Amino acid sequence: SEIKDKKVLYFAHSLPITHPVHKGILAFQESLNEKSEGKLQLKIFPDAQLGSERETLELLQIGSVAMTKVSAASMSSFAPEYEVLGIPYLFKDSEHLFNVLEGDIGKELLAAGSEYLLRGICFYDAGSRSFYAKERAIQTPSDLKGMKIRVMNDKMSVDMVNTLGGSATPMAYGELYTALQQKVVDGAENNIPSFVTSNHYEICKYYTFDEHSMIPDVVVMSSTFWKTLSETEKKWVQDAANESVVKEKQYWKETVEENMKVLEEANVQFIYPDKTLFSNQADALTKTLMQDPKKKAMIERIRAVGAN
Amino acid sequence: METISIILLFITFFGLLAYGVPVAYSIGISTTLTLLLNIAFMPAITTACQRMTTGIDNFALLAIPFFILAGEVMNRGGIANRLIAFAKSLIGSLPGGMLYVNTLAAMLFGAISGSAIAAASAIGSTLTEKMAKDGYPRDFSAAVNITSSTTGLLIPPSNVFIIFALASGGTASVAALFIAGYIPGLLVGASIMFMIYLYGKRKGLPMGERVSMKQLFIDFKSAILSLSLLFIVVGGIVGGIFTATEAAAIAVVYAVILGFVNRELKLKDFKSILLTSAKTTAIVMFLICTSMAMSWLFSFESIPQMFTDFLIESVKNPFLVLLVINITLLVVGTFMDMTPAVLIFTPIFLPVVMALGMHPVQFGMVMVLNLCIGICTPPVGTLLFVGSGVAKVPVTKVIKKLMPILGVMTIVLLIITYVPAISLWLPRFFGLIE
Amino acid sequence: MQKTYTFLSKSIENILVAIFGLLVIDVVWQVASRYIIGQSSSFTEEFARFSLIWLAVLGAAYINGQKEGHLSMDFLVTKLPPKKQVARKKYIQLFMILFALVVMIIGGGNLVYITLKLGQTSPALHIPLGYVYAIVPVSGLLIIFFCIHRILENEE
Ligand code: NA
Ligand code: NA
Repeated sequence: SEIKDKKVLYFAHSLPITHPVHKGILAFQESLNEKSEGKLQLKIFPDAQLGSERETLELLQIGSVAMTKVSAASMSSFAPEYEVLGIPYLFKDSEHLFNVLEGDIGKELLAAGSEYLLRGICFYDAGSRSFYAKERAIQTPSDLKGMKIRVMNDKMSVDMVNTLGGSATPMAYGELYTALQQKVVDGAENNIPSFVTSNHYEICKYYTFDEHSMIPDVVVMSSTFWKTLSETEKKWVQDAANESVVKEKQYWKETVEENMKVLEEANVQFIYPDKTLFSNQADALTKTLMQDPKKKAMIERIRAVGAN
Repeated sequence: METISIILLFITFFGLLAYGVPVAYSIGISTTLTLLLNIAFMPAITTACQRMTTGIDNFALLAIPFFILAGEVMNRGGIANRLIAFAKSLIGSLPGGMLYVNTLAAMLFGAISGSAIAAASAIGSTLTEKMAKDGYPRDFSAAVNITSSTTGLLIPPSNVFIIFALASGGTASVAALFIAGYIPGLLVGASIMFMIYLYGKRKGLPMGERVSMKQLFIDFKSAILSLSLLFIVVGGIVGGIFTATEAAAIAVVYAVILGFVNRELKLKDFKSILLTSAKTTAIVMFLICTSMAMSWLFSFESIPQMFTDFLIESVKNPFLVLLVINITLLVVGTFMDMTPAVLIFTPIFLPVVMALGMHPVQFGMVMVLNLCIGICTPPVGTLLFVGSGVAKVPVTKVIKKLMPILGVMTIVLLIITYVPAISLWLPRFFGLIE
Repeated sequence: MQKTYTFLSKSIENILVAIFGLLVIDVVWQVASRYIIGQSSSFTEEFARFSLIWLAVLGAAYINGQKEGHLSMDFLVTKLPPKKQVARKKYIQLFMILFALVVMIIGGGNLVYITLKLGQTSPALHIPLGYVYAIVPVSGLLIIFFCIHRILENEE
């Protein structure tokens, strides 16, 4: 039966439907539907149907699309506060990461987006990012020398790869498969589920677990739409989102396990390097960033959370 | 809601088109009106504008202005004459030889310049008077010149494939499309030559002149520098040495160097070459701008999904679905130019054929060859008008001679539609698709 | 009017030639640097993409001022009696004015305003995205000028 006065929020993101984060969003959709008894619904557009992450964030600011899920790295071109999350080797492990994201710092970051009409709703686990390459195994930072590595379109990712010794090549995610195939780039860096769902493992047979960064995904709502919601509706959205975070982390874990089997069958070689070689080299970037007193304070706060 | 949107979108679009509003604007206005049905005023018009600009914010699209520029640089040189001379010494000795020469030269020129119009006018205007004097009927010669010029759009490099790759949302790569275009392009060329043979048998055509091996070698030498562009561009892309965009930039540099070597290019020509190319680029790119806004609207309204469901549910038989799509495109091709047709109908039909298991690269071949027929038919047939113009024959007379050739092209189209290997064998061989 | 028309057309011509020229140098340099130095820079790619936007949108405005104009399906218009054709051509210009005003000037202006106010910058060149988008409202104004010029020209 038709529900009267139902609101539909358009939710656009750029991942394929096989991705664990998409499953997290589906959980969000289902939970919101239950809580609101169908009065508040999500219509999901996966696969960058409505544009890349940058373009979709802009559409949220314009007010034609209500919600999106982007990497925190993409958010940093809009809300510079998010930049710190991309600092290499800032988080010790995923427990540290989520202590930060689900604590005060996380709340501050989500709220900071409002100034740019991009209200953060919640963070999703996006694992840790590592290098993968087509033609040779990356064992140490010196192996990166002369290698063109695709990175996301943000300053931190570019600086990170360049600091580690590679040649950073920012490029849209959708263009990467062909670029790897045609050797326009020699490798890229991403988490395991993205490495698998993008089919890049068909081309790149070396995956190095250097785990240089743990940039989370973030669910964002256009402030224009957020303002049109009643207090009850806002609560439905926030509660449903929070519930989906728990499920998404579970999906992520399960997917990584399944994916590792897929990669083994595809003869992808895993390299477990001495991570300190990479983190020592990355320190140079962190030191430069800490010359900015604001960033220094934030980095120290994040490190302090880890000590708890 | 979606149904009302589709009706409004298509009625306003075709209405404006028929009224005489330029295609790019017709697309832009109908898209904006439909967006206003779904989104508040300010966000709707701002979104239309954002989609127009971000729609062309794509490094792959840069290949288009560069191939246009390379073609323009080459047009200023004496390349047409060199290619004709080469074709003549190769196959000119057959009965009706000059018609084969025209076909081969138009294929080579079209292949290099990537423009069917440029091929038809350059080759046609050079050959037309000589052929008429030798006793070749002007109308049939024009029909051959027009149809053979379309092969340049299938044989790489070809801007229309870059546009198709964009419209396919990246499911088909430019490199794979380029390589896949060879066999369909050569098939069309061969089928035109077959029609010349049949015509000659019935009507009799002037005999060609035989040339010595020495002359063949001389002509080959003078054409080889132009022809080697094909190997540099396509070889570079397939070999993974550079991307299509970089290849296009290299084509520009190569064409410029060639122009200087052949002493046909002067520094002072550059401004006018750049301006002419900028104009062509702007017309194509602005069309892409508004089409990308329309294609975003398609996604926003889930229109491709509706078409897929409708076609597959109601027609059921995959064989018939492909036939329906081909007939629709043939009708579209009569009144719409190639670029807007590719931009508008790829997002609608590609999901349908992919649901039937067709590879996007194969659909690229089907779509482009289908619309190649369209640019030769009235009422909107740019190539037909250019070809008749240079041959100095009325369009109506050319149409009569065109019909059988377009008929055999339609047979080739059906073969390409139902035999995937013709399109997919080469790109698979080079490892460009699975 | 005629003087302004000539001035604007000539100026846009020079700008288009300059953008196209820079675009060629930029991408050729990108390819060359990849092979000679073994490094490609993200600046050249971003510059090329933004230049293409300017070339396309400003070029589109320029085409509006040219006799051949944008691609249209005018086979039905040419069947009209001459007097009606003149009137029809005028109304066609009005449609384009409407589009330029609503989408390019108001919509484009709003887009520039939003991106400048909210401070989005490009990742490689660090230029405000608003500057890139600014070509849209500017071209919208130019299109309106060229359309009015065309209407007045037809009335003479
Ligand atoms: Na070609
Ligand atoms: Na036609």
